[in-house]
Amino acid sequence: MGRVMADQAFEAVVAVHHAEIHRYLARVTRRPSDADDLSQETFLRAFRAHGALPPGSNVRAWLFTIATNLCRNHWRSEARRRRAHEAMGSRDERHDAGGPEGEAVLEQANIRVTEVVGALPLKQRLAFTMRKIHELEYAEIGESLGCSGESARAHVFQALRKIRRALGDLAIAPLGAGEPRA
Amino acid sequence: MTTSIPTCREVEPDIIAMAAAEASPAAIRRVESHVAGCAECRTELGQYRALEGMVLDLRGAPAPGRGPTLARAELENRLTDLRSRLVRFGVFDSVLGPILIGATEHGVSVVEYLPSRASVGVKLARGGADAVEDRARTEGLYRELAEYLEGRRNRLDWPLDFRLARGDFQRRVLEATARLPYGAVASYAGIAREIGAPRASRAVAQALRRNPVPIVVPCHRVVGSDGDLVGYAGNRVGLKQRLLALEGIRTAGGRKGYHIERDAVYYRHLDDSEYCLPTCGSIGTKPLGEFTLYASRTRAEAVGLAPCTSCRPDLHALPA
Repeated sequence: MGRVMADQAFEAVVAVHHAEIHRYLARVTRRPSDADDLSQETFLRAFRAHGALPPGSNVRAWLFTIATNLCRNHWRSEARRRRAHEAMGSRDERHDAGGPEGEAVLEQANIRVTEVVGALPLKQRLAFTMRKIHELEYAEIGESLGCSGESARAHVFQALRKIRRALGDLAIAPLGAGEPRA
Repeated sequence: MTTSIPTCREVEPDIIAMAAAEASPAAIRRVESHVAGCAECRTELGQYRALEGMVLDLRGAPAPGRGPTLARAELENRLTDLRSRLVRFGVFDSVLGPILIGATEHGVSVVEYLPSRASVGVKLARGGADAVEDRARTEGLYRELAEYLEGRRNRLDWPLDFRLARGDFQRRVLEATARLPYGAVASYAGIAREIGAPRASRAVAQALRRNPVPIVVPCHRVVGSDGDLVGYAGNRVGLKQRLLALEGIRTAGGRKGYHIERDAVYYRHLDDSEYCLPTCGSIGTKPLGEFTLYASRTRAEAVGLAPCTSCRPDLHALPA
């Protein structure tokens, strides 16, 4: 009956999109456990709500919107917690970017870009990652961030400008596409 | 249209767009006219292009962290759990007023008459159920219910989820009540006997008062031992009367309450294989709890009963 079919359809949603959403969250959050938790929460919310999704909706963009909202809420509460910790003199642990395995795999240049991206303001980081890593349309990114496609584009450009400044001279000559730097 | 050469600051967004291969032809013209005379910005364009190359690498590289496998496994567990708990419900305007229908993946778990559309979720919040409005998934159920209430259907063959039932006793009561066919009426005492607890008729009435799925589990077909239509959806015995009337069960009464018209139904004693007229033998002297009542010969014969060979209901039909 209809219910069962719809549940199977959701299994397909998980199968198709989970890895990408997890990857997105791993890039925009600080701790590996955040990506695990937030990706779970994304799909649990999606499961509750997908019955109300009009047929023909862009499920991928919708999942990015849920993940982005969760990430922003998470960031807000993290920031509150961090401020409280700092007030008490605790150490700031925001640069815990990924576990040791992940780092070993990342190439040198990627590590640098990843670090710089990690230091961007959240909105820019989200917009940059959605556009440059996941190749979403500006309109979809705007939807996720609750702004216009134009503003989403401005966030991406602002991110690129900051990354460019932070990286300094990129030694253009020896750097071909796909070739590791240094 | 102006052809003046843009400044470095003005042209930077166009440079970024051009490096990302998403610049409009006009933007490309602006960049080209600018970098022709500005070595610094020519370098910048090269730098942004190099950055796009690094970003391309990044796209193919694994994200930091430990990958999605563990998280996926954990998600599947939580989804399995949520799936079995989650009640998807819809609220519909039925001829009996606003009605809520909710189902888990196991079956329909709640049907509720709402005093108003605004009172959704009172019941759902109970018993640890997790609920979400999902009209699309409950509309089909409501369509069948609407047909039932219009008399165009006499069965609701829905899978039911009794996991929110309060214990084994209530479950047995609900299951026994669910077996009462359309157009038949039993008493609380009759159901008590049916589940092997002949002295528990009050407990049966309590269990049915908390029937999570009225209409589908037809507790309206269960009446008091004197034939009174007692207790339904709070004190809305009028609903009980309407549901019975739909099935052809005649009732009498009004404001002060309704009772079954005992001489307008056919009788089956305990587990007999025959059905009788109300005037047959000693029917009048036995307690109503020993009988199942049928609205018509058709209803009695639909469950395989034969006309009694002594009172011959087949020859002497009750006045319609």
